[in-house]
Amino acid sequence: MSETSIFADVLRWLPFVLWGFGLNVLMSVLAIVLGTGAGVFLGLGQTSHIRLVGGVSRLATQLFRNAPWLVLLFYCIFLMPYSIVISGATYNVPSWLRATLGFSLPVAANFSEIVRGAIGSIPKGQWEAAEALGYSRSVTLFRIILPQCITRMLPPWMNLYALLITATPLASIVGVEEALARTQAAVQSEAQASFLIPMYATLLVMFFLYTYPISRISNALERRFRTV
Amino acid sequence: MKALKTFAFGLALGLGAAVARAETLDCGDDTLCKIEATKVLKVGTKDDYKPWSYRAADGSFAGMEVDLANALGQLLGAKVEIVKVNSANRFEFLAQGQIDIMIASATDTAERRQVVGFVHPNYYSSGYNILLPKKVKATKWDEMTGQTICAIQGAWYNKPAQEKFKLELLAFAGTAEVESALQQGRCIGVLSDDNLINVQLADPKWADYYMPLPTQDDAPWGIAVRKADLDKPWGVLVAGAIANWHRSGKLLELEKANGIAESAYLRKMHEALKDHLATQ
Repeated sequence: MSETSIFADVLRWLPFVLWGFGLNVLMSVLAIVLGTGAGVFLGLGQTSHIRLVGGVSRLATQLFRNAPWLVLLFYCIFLMPYSIVISGATYNVPSWLRATLGFSLPVAANFSEIVRGAIGSIPKGQWEAAEALGYSRSVTLFRIILPQCITRMLPPWMNLYALLITATPLASIVGVEEALARTQAAVQSEAQASFLIPMYATLLVMFFLYTYPISRISNALERRFRTV
Repeated sequence: MKALKTFAFGLALGLGAAVARAETLDCGDDTLCKIEATKVLKVGTKDDYKPWSYRAADGSFAGMEVDLANALGQLLGAKVEIVKVNSANRFEFLAQGQIDIMIASATDTAERRQVVGFVHPNYYSSGYNILLPKKVKATKWDEMTGQTICAIQGAWYNKPAQEKFKLELLAFAGTAEVESALQQGRCIGVLSDDNLINVQLADPKWADYYMPLPTQDDAPWGIAVRKADLDKPWGVLVAGAIANWHRSGKLLELEKANGIAESAYLRKMHEALKDHLATQ
């Protein structure tokens, strides 16, 4: 087996794997959107002075943040029903969508901590000053504290996304046809040992090319927003 | 803010489209009725078991089991939708209704019959054996005791082979990984399906290897439907289709067309069921 023919083989399988990678991107984008949305509520909940809201938010955050992603994924894939009946109509939920929900749980919990940390990083004096000027707690939070938090949350949020996209191949274990599953199918189909390394290397490069710019931008933002 | 709203709306729309609305039919639990109404047959097949079921580079499925799925689709006049399954999720997919039928190189065992309904007659059969380099001279399984042998994760015969012959198994994800381990000298041979070994031996790449031991525990493979369907029209139709494939020799034909050496089981079934009036 010459090197050129291996290269040609990899090239032949490339579109097939790239389509799978598209699913990785789709799952990660949906999961970061859902996770961020839920994470904002959890994070604000954690700072709440209402004991019940604070307790539930803290519990949910700690639970999903400290559970292995794969375990959460298994829960979502095997416990969620395949078809859901909403007002008489049956809807089928494909595996990749259930996996996406599985990914959004830890994302929400991690983002919740990012929100809590950002709010905590604003000097306490600002809360006190706002109170002295007669602002209510919610106005202080939304008009004074949160606008300052957004720039602080952006770099860790992008880091979280980079972690998320690199975690999406876990979905192959539960039968989602993403890039890793497709690479494995290609390797099995070619059934030759010399194909193994080039094929997985291609997958590695694919993820790197996608993730590297994100981590560079996140680093640049971090430098830009650094408060001295 | 407006852009955000548009984005959220688009996202909701996308999610809605992904959650495909299933047809509401008055078929109850009758799977055959559903297939005939929707004209779609969803077949679960693996994609890591060449030449029974594997992927072509364009993403389409190929192999003997895929040919069987297409034959079934033709019989029903339905479009065949192949759903990729793996050893871990194939029974759940069937039970949940994600597929109507499973043709996924599954050995028909008592344990599995509690979960899904295996349709009879069985469509294939295989036992296990060891692929060995020709320089290893062996004639009896007992000589393999304590030897390190490569294997594929999740194969049903890993456990009996380990218990019966005290092999030291080194299990990998697939055949390519096993081949690589064999080349690196991490094991002396490969525990595998005897039919699969025959396919490999036909390839000049494996010229220095052979299969000197007698095949063990020949066990039939089953096409499965949901347990509730087994004695209903759907299960009975599939049973009839398999019997016809044995009778007409279609299974032997497909086996040959996929480059697999003739298996004794298919020959035996064909002899038993063939038309006694047909002239030779």
